[in-house]
Amino acid sequence: MDRNFKPILLTCMLLAVIGASACISGENDETAKGDSFVENSQDLIVGISSDVNNWYLDKFADGDARFVWSQVYETLVRLDSNLNIIPGLAESWETPDNGTTWIFHLRKNVTFHDGTPFNADSVVFSYSDKSYVRQAVLKPIKSIEALDNYTVKFVLQKPMPLPFYLTHVAWPIMGPGCLDKAGNFIKPVGTGPFKFESQKKDQEIVLIRNDAYWGNKSLLNKVSFKIIPDPSTQVMAFENGELDMIIKVPEYDVKRLEAKKSIQVQKKLSTFTDFLQFNCDKTPFNDTKVRQSVAYAIDTKALVNDILNGVGKPAEGRPYSPNMMYSEPDLKTYSQDLDKSKALLKEAGWEDSNRDGILEKDGSPLNCTLLVSKGAWAARHTLMAQVAQEDLRKIGMNVEIQVLDEGAISKLEGMGNFGMILRTGYFVWGPYPKHFFIHHSKSPYSHYHNETYDQLVDAADSTIDPQKQKELYYALQNFVIKEVPAFYLVHEEKVVATGPSVKGFVITAEDPWLDLSGVYLERK
Amino acid sequence: MEYLKASEVKRPISENDRNIRRISMWKYIANRLVMVLIVIAGVTLVSFFAMYLAPGDPAELIALERYGQDLDKSQIESVREAEGLDAPVYFQYFIWLDHLLHLDLGRSIITSDDVLEEILLKLPATIELTVAGLLISLLIALPIGVLSAFQKNILLDNCCAFFSLIGISIPNFWLGILLIWLFSLTLHIFPSYGYGSLSHLALPALTLGISMSSITARLTRASLMEVMEKEYILAARARGFDEYTVVLRHALKNALLPVVTFAGMQLGYLLGGAVIVETIFSWPGIGKLLVDSIFARDFSMVQGCVLFIAVLFSLSSLAVDILYAVLDPRIRYDMYE
Repeated sequence: MDRNFKPILLTCMLLAVIGASACISGENDETAKGDSFVENSQDLIVGISSDVNNWYLDKFADGDARFVWSQVYETLVRLDSNLNIIPGLAESWETPDNGTTWIFHLRKNVTFHDGTPFNADSVVFSYSDKSYVRQAVLKPIKSIEALDNYTVKFVLQKPMPLPFYLTHVAWPIMGPGCLDKAGNFIKPVGTGPFKFESQKKDQEIVLIRNDAYWGNKSLLNKVSFKIIPDPSTQVMAFENGELDMIIKVPEYDVKRLEAKKSIQVQKKLSTFTDFLQFNCDKTPFNDTKVRQSVAYAIDTKALVNDILNGVGKPAEGRPYSPNMMYSEPDLKTYSQDLDKSKALLKEAGWEDSNRDGILEKDGSPLNCTLLVSKGAWAARHTLMAQVAQEDLRKIGMNVEIQVLDEGAISKLEGMGNFGMILRTGYFVWGPYPKHFFIHHSKSPYSHYHNETYDQLVDAADSTIDPQKQKELYYALQNFVIKEVPAFYLVHEEKVVATGPSVKGFVITAEDPWLDLSGVYLERK
Repeated sequence: MEYLKASEVKRPISENDRNIRRISMWKYIANRLVMVLIVIAGVTLVSFFAMYLAPGDPAELIALERYGQDLDKSQIESVREAEGLDAPVYFQYFIWLDHLLHLDLGRSIITSDDVLEEILLKLPATIELTVAGLLISLLIALPIGVLSAFQKNILLDNCCAFFSLIGISIPNFWLGILLIWLFSLTLHIFPSYGYGSLSHLALPALTLGISMSSITARLTRASLMEVMEKEYILAARARGFDEYTVVLRHALKNALLPVVTFAGMQLGYLLGGAVIVETIFSWPGIGKLLVDSIFARDFSMVQGCVLFIAVLFSLSSLAVDILYAVLDPRIRYDMYE
């Protein structure tokens, strides 16, 4: 070997050794079980699947960020564990003119995490023009004004049940201390039971107890959110005692975890419902009878029992979960009836003229596509789509499933190049049935155009009188059942699993379903 | 590749030879660097346009990220205008390229973080995992390769072949979960996820190392068997060296040449391709950043990551070629002249 190259080779080898030893020297060797086995610790470790990318009101808190936000920030109006509306940072509210003006009376003696007092100015700050909620959801707000230190007036362009809207954790009250003098975001400052401590990107977020909290102080000292995107890894880390709690247990793991004595699994019907949205602009789903026939063909009970291991409730076409407001108890829903389904298709002119098992009309076979997202929030959807495909095959419909990412779905959707899309939620938070906007002609996701429907949705959302609102929402539910702009499959159940040390946790129906008040740890 | 005759190799190397060799070496490196630049230019073009050809309206996705699902069409249009997405694509490409020349990879459209800073932040984790994975793979592959070369056609060799087959066939995500099940859940030796200590590194590095070692082991075996047939091995034996010295001193050194090349190629693959392993073990490296960015449709971050991985890949393959030449003096660089 050339002598001159020996030093180079030696350097390379040395670098490799340094690189390897860097891995070792950076070691801060913990036990395999991590912090969770420290005696008498009140430090809770929670597994979540995505990091908090944004802490400020100019952007939406997406994914699991809402679980973390709900510990740091609070809203003016809150929901209890059964989704009843209760006071939050506002003690009471009134509307002097039937919904166009709303006056909120704020809680006194509340301070932000940086010690600044919570008052009317911070509410005006949180709902300023710069907040995305003003730009995206609460566009009808004309002005927000501080009447005095603890009274705020919202003036709207049209009557609206504003308190329901203000329960969403993604548009909470933030302290002015979030910004520096130049107006740049520096740190999250809220009024919640926990204060922001640190964040290691894509690894961990640490919150510590807010000792100056106005309500019941947390029994925990610290909450660490560990970010583990892979659901299987998350469940295994939990079973291994590295996590005290996981808040999105996959349906297929529920029974196994329930069988373990040391693990507590809590389930609660959520406000989310999975649905098959039709492209009502194109054949074959521009015909109501075809949509109804799909509703009669799919067995949603079997979906829940066979595919989701009994987690969730069959929706049978009901547009939203029974725990939502104004849910009609006597709604006439669908159950599988293949004869009816076939008869409806026949009425619509579809017949199997060439006896290949697939129906035809005017020479074209009954083919359609079903788009399914492969996102982390809807791992169950691919299996559900396959069951729907099988059921529809029985009535002579040939469904091609396309599992795509959100971007691809939005592209095909924009081009109108699809038959059905399997979705969940959309405009869903708390118990308020805002979801009906999805089939409104003005929604970018709507593929259904019906003036009567639009008018009903607009009227329901601008009515304050609960009795009238109830009638309108009952009418809307019946409308969806009859016209089937989408067929609603499964009301989702949220599943939270807690380890042997966690005591006092009660799951709520609210999204995000992580109320840590009353939670403490008993380490063994 | 062109080789010198054996007789020439044995000729004592003069100072003049050394100078010629040194000059041609630098020329070779310069040529390779130019090639690297061409490759990178190609990568910028492909990565930029591929993202635009991919389905999905970037403006809508950014709007979704900012405002949640409560969107209307005017918001999508205002995002398109604000982000310059209404300009022609080629124009957007040249703007991006101009920024790139100033080492500005832009900001993430989802988190507003600086792309270059974000990538540099993730780089140490990826390098740690890669180096550890490579070391583990060599530690497994070399002994197995040597053993199976000498135990030809008997049980041990078959076992090694079987191990290699399994190693090649098992997908990383399955192997990773299997290792978590065994070492975390059952034996409680290592943590199942996370970053920061040697015990955290163990399972992801093992996953990578095992999957890589199977091919390296087969390659070592084949290369060693070929070298053992050579005349100089026979000569060494004739001179009375014991089998141990013959194999380790004479044969293995030469047999390792293709192994070094392969390991180098794997290094490049690992730097960018440890994506699945990083995702399973929540290892905060570039691979995971890339996957997350693809799912979030974070165009600027994806382009930055792809470019960075391409640069690392090109440079590591250049380093391997140089190392290869250092290990084997018969290789000439003047073929590039």
